[in-house]
Amino acid sequence: MENKILTEKINEEYKYGFVTNIEADNAPKGLNEDIIHFISKKKNEPEWMLEYRLKAFRHWQKLEEPHWAHLSYQKPNFQDIIYYSAPKPKKNLDSLNEVDPELLKTFEKLGISIEEQKRLTGVESTIAVDIVMDSVSVKTTFKEVLSEKGIIFCSFGEAVQEHPELVKKYMGSVVPHTDNFYAALNSAVFTDGSFCYIPKGVRCPMELSTYFRINSAGTGQFERTLIIADEDSYVSYLEGCTAPMRDENQLHAAVVELIAHKNAEIKYSTVQNWYPGDKEGKGGVFNFVTKRGVCMEDNSKISWTQVETGSAITWKYPSVILKGDNSVGEFYSVAVTNNYQQADTGTKMIHLGKNTRSTIISKGISAGFSNNSYRGLVRIAKGATNARNFSQCDSLLMSDKCGAHTFPYIEIKDKSGVVEHEATTSKIGEDQLFYCKQRGIDTEKAIGLIVNGYCKEVLNKLPMEFAVEAQKLLAISLEGSVG
Amino acid sequence: MSIKTVENIKTKSSSTKNLENLLTSEFERSKSFLFGNTQLREQAMDSFFRQGIPSRKNEEYKYINIDSLLKDEFVLNVNKTITREQIESLTFLKNVITIVIENGIFSGELLSLNSLPKGLTICSITEASKKHTETFEKYYSKSFDINTDAFSALNTAMAKDGAFIHIEKNEIIETPIHIIHISTTNSPAITHPRNLIIVEECAQVKIIESYSTIDSGAKTFNNALTELVVNANAVVDHYETEDENNWGYLINSTQVVQKQNSIFYTHTFTLSGSLVRNNLNIVLDAENIETHLNGLYLTKGNQVVDNHTLVDHRKPNCNSNELYKGIVDERSSATFNGKIFVRKDAQKTNAFQSNKNILLSDDGTINTKPQLEIYADDVKCSHGTSTGKLDEEKVFYLRARGLSETSAKKLLMHAFASEVTNTVKIDDLKKYIEAKISERFE
Repeated sequence: MENKILTEKINEEYKYGFVTNIEADNAPKGLNEDIIHFISKKKNEPEWMLEYRLKAFRHWQKLEEPHWAHLSYQKPNFQDIIYYSAPKPKKNLDSLNEVDPELLKTFEKLGISIEEQKRLTGVESTIAVDIVMDSVSVKTTFKEVLSEKGIIFCSFGEAVQEHPELVKKYMGSVVPHTDNFYAALNSAVFTDGSFCYIPKGVRCPMELSTYFRINSAGTGQFERTLIIADEDSYVSYLEGCTAPMRDENQLHAAVVELIAHKNAEIKYSTVQNWYPGDKEGKGGVFNFVTKRGVCMEDNSKISWTQVETGSAITWKYPSVILKGDNSVGEFYSVAVTNNYQQADTGTKMIHLGKNTRSTIISKGISAGFSNNSYRGLVRIAKGATNARNFSQCDSLLMSDKCGAHTFPYIEIKDKSGVVEHEATTSKIGEDQLFYCKQRGIDTEKAIGLIVNGYCKEVLNKLPMEFAVEAQKLLAISLEGSVG
Repeated sequence: MSIKTVENIKTKSSSTKNLENLLTSEFERSKSFLFGNTQLREQAMDSFFRQGIPSRKNEEYKYINIDSLLKDEFVLNVNKTITREQIESLTFLKNVITIVIENGIFSGELLSLNSLPKGLTICSITEASKKHTETFEKYYSKSFDINTDAFSALNTAMAKDGAFIHIEKNEIIETPIHIIHISTTNSPAITHPRNLIIVEECAQVKIIESYSTIDSGAKTFNNALTELVVNANAVVDHYETEDENNWGYLINSTQVVQKQNSIFYTHTFTLSGSLVRNNLNIVLDAENIETHLNGLYLTKGNQVVDNHTLVDHRKPNCNSNELYKGIVDERSSATFNGKIFVRKDAQKTNAFQSNKNILLSDDGTINTKPQLEIYADDVKCSHGTSTGKLDEEKVFYLRARGLSETSAKKLLMHAFASEVTNTVKIDDLKKYIEAKISERFE
C-alpha cells in the first residue's frame, strides 16, 4: 500500500512544464557584436546603452568560464543560444484586453491571473506584477496606482526610455560589467527585466512582483532587475520563475542590483522553480545569477529570502555590501535538491560601515543523487567597528546517494568584530518520524511536516502569498525522496 | 650517511623561475644517489612542475603569499654545523629519546642506539631504505597522492634524508620520542626533511616533533613531510611544536593513515616563525577509528600562520573531533581551513570541528574556512567557529576583584588557551608550552 502511494508520488512530474504556442520574435542563434546591435535596435535603445553593452561584450570575450564551484556540468555553448526572443505581437498595450489571450492562459495556468488582479484593483493590498516572458516584459500591472505615490515600477526597457537618468546613475553600480563571467554576459545581452524606484519617504503600499517565464526553445534568459529605495522608503519585492520541460539545458543568467539609501529598507524574496530536469538529470535550467545589494547609507537594510527548488544547476550568492553605518543585511535561504540537481548557493556579507549587522540562516535539503552546497563569505573590513555576524547553515540528507556540503569563508580584519558560524549535517531523526507515525501520520506526510518545521525560520520571512506557495513547492520537490 | 655535502649551488634569482631552474638542476644531479625509487622522484618532480608553486589564486593557498617568498636567492645543500651543546640547549624535555634532523639531514648523535627500548627501531630514512627495504617499500609515499599538493610533491622529489621510526607489534614505548628539526644555515636555504613513522598493530607510542632555528639571520625555507601509519588497535599520541625565528618559513605536511580500532591524537602548537603552513591530512581507512585534532596558534608581528586540516572519513563508525584555537595580535594573520570529508560508505560517522579565535589588534587578520563535504546520510557532523575580542565583562569581573587590566587579560588568554594545552599528556611538554605562552603574553 505504502509502495503504491510512493510510486504515484514519485511519478508526479514538474507541474509548470507546458509550452505556450505564442509566436515569438527570435534573433538568430549565436553571439557577436551584430547580435548586440540587433538587440539594442529592437529595444530602440539610446546610444549610451549600446556602448555599455559593447563594452561589457568586449570584456566578456576576455574572460574564462569559472569552474571553482562544487558543480559538474557540460559547459554551455554560448554560440548555440538565442539571445533575444520576444512574444509577438509586441505593440504597446493599453489595457489587458489587448494582451494575447494565449499569454493570459499561460499565466492563469501558472496561477497568476492578471484578469483577477485587475478585478481586485481598489481592494486593499494585493500584488503588483511585472511579467517577464523569455526575457521580455509583457505586462506590468497596477502601474497607475503606484505612480500616484511616485513609485516607478516598469520594465527595464521602458525605464531606459523614460528614466534614463536613473538607469544611467545606478545600472552597474552594484554589479559592474566586469564583475564576473555571467554578469559580463548579462550586461552585454540582457533583453529586459524589471525596474523599480521608490521615492523619498514612501512606503510601497503593495508587494511588487516579477514573474519570469522561459517559453521558447533554445533561448537563454538574461534579465536585469534594478531596485532603488530612496531615503526613508520601504519596498518588498517578490520574484518567481518557471520554465517548460525540455531536454536541452537552458541558460538563465540574470543580474539583480539593489540600492538602499539612508533609512531605506528592501526586502527581496525569491521562489525559484525553474525546470529541474527529469529524473535522469536530463535537461533543466542552468541558473547562474548575480544578485547583490548595497546598503549605501546609514541605517539602511537589505534582506534576501530565497526558496530554491528548481533548476538543474543553481549557482548564486545574493550578497549585501554593508557600506552605511548601522546598516543591516539578512539572508534566509532554503535550497532543496532532488534527483540529479546541483546547487552551490549562499551569500556574501561585506561589512564596511560601523555597527553593521548581518544574519545568515541557510537550510539545505538534499535528496536523490543531488549535491547541495552552501558557500558563503563574511568579511569584516578594517575600520568596520562593532560589526556583528551570525551564521547558521544546516543540511538535511534524505538519501545515501546525495551530498551536502558547507564552505564558509570568514575574513576578519577588525578586532571589535564578533562573528559566529555554526553548521550541522544530519538526516531526519528516526525518533521524530516514529513519533509522527505513532500518532497516525504516514511517512510521506511526516517527512513533509518535519521538513517544514526545519525550514520554518526561513519560510516565516516570506510574504504571506509566497509562504503558502513555498510550502507546497517543498512538499512537491521532496515527494518520494524517502521511502 | 651516503650523501656528501657538495659545493653550494647558488643563483641570483628575481623570480620563482630561477628557483625552478635551480631545483631542476639539483634534481638531475642528485636523483640517482638519493634514497628510494628514482622513478617515484621523477613522477613527483613532474607533478610539482605541473602544479607549480602555489600562488594566491590557488584556492588552498588563498591566504598566504608563498610564491613571492621564493623569489629570493636560495641554496639547496647545507653543511652540518650544529654542536652537541647547541643540540642539548634545544632539548627542552627530560627522559625522551631524541633525534635531531639538522637542515633536513638525520643525525643520530644524541641517540644511543643500544639503549633503545625493545621493539623500537630508529634510523635515518636513507638507511631504512636499504636495511628495512620491505617495510620501507610497503609504506613509503603510500599515504597520500603527490598530485594533490605541490609542496608534498616537491618534498617527495627532493628529500635527502629524515627519520625512520618503527614500532613493532604489541610493543608499548613508554618513553616519548622527540624529533628535533633544526635549521642552522648561514645562507638562505630550502630543505626537505622526510620522516616515516610506522606504528604496528596494538603498539603504542608518543611522538613529539619540534621545529626551530638557530639565529643566523639567513632565511630558511623548510618543506617538511612526515608520514605516519597507525595500524590496527594502535594508539599514537602526536605533538608538534613550531617555534622558529623570524627568518623561518615552514611548510609542515603530516600525512596520517589510520587502520581499524586505532586511536590517534595530534596537537599542533604554533608559537613563532615568520610563516607557518601546516597541512595535516588524516585518512580514516577502516572502521571504529577515533581521531582527535587539537591546535593552538599565537601570532604577532608580521607572522602568517595557515592551518589546513583534512579529516577523510572513508569507512563507517568512526569518530573525529577537532579543536583549533588562535590568538592573533599586531599585524599578523592567521588562517584556519578545516575540512571534514565523509565518503559514501562512511555511515554512522560522528565528526565535529570547532575553531575559536581572539583578535587583539586592529591590524591583525583572521580567516577561517571550516568545511563539511558529506556524501553519506546517516551521519552527525557539525562545525562551529567564532571570532571576537576578549570579553569586556570578564575583564571587568576580574578587575573588580583587584587584578590589573593587563593581568586580567593575561589570565583570560591563558584560560582560552588552556582548553588546548590541557589535552597535552606529557607533563614536561605541557609545562614547556605553558611557559612559552606566558612568555608570549609578557
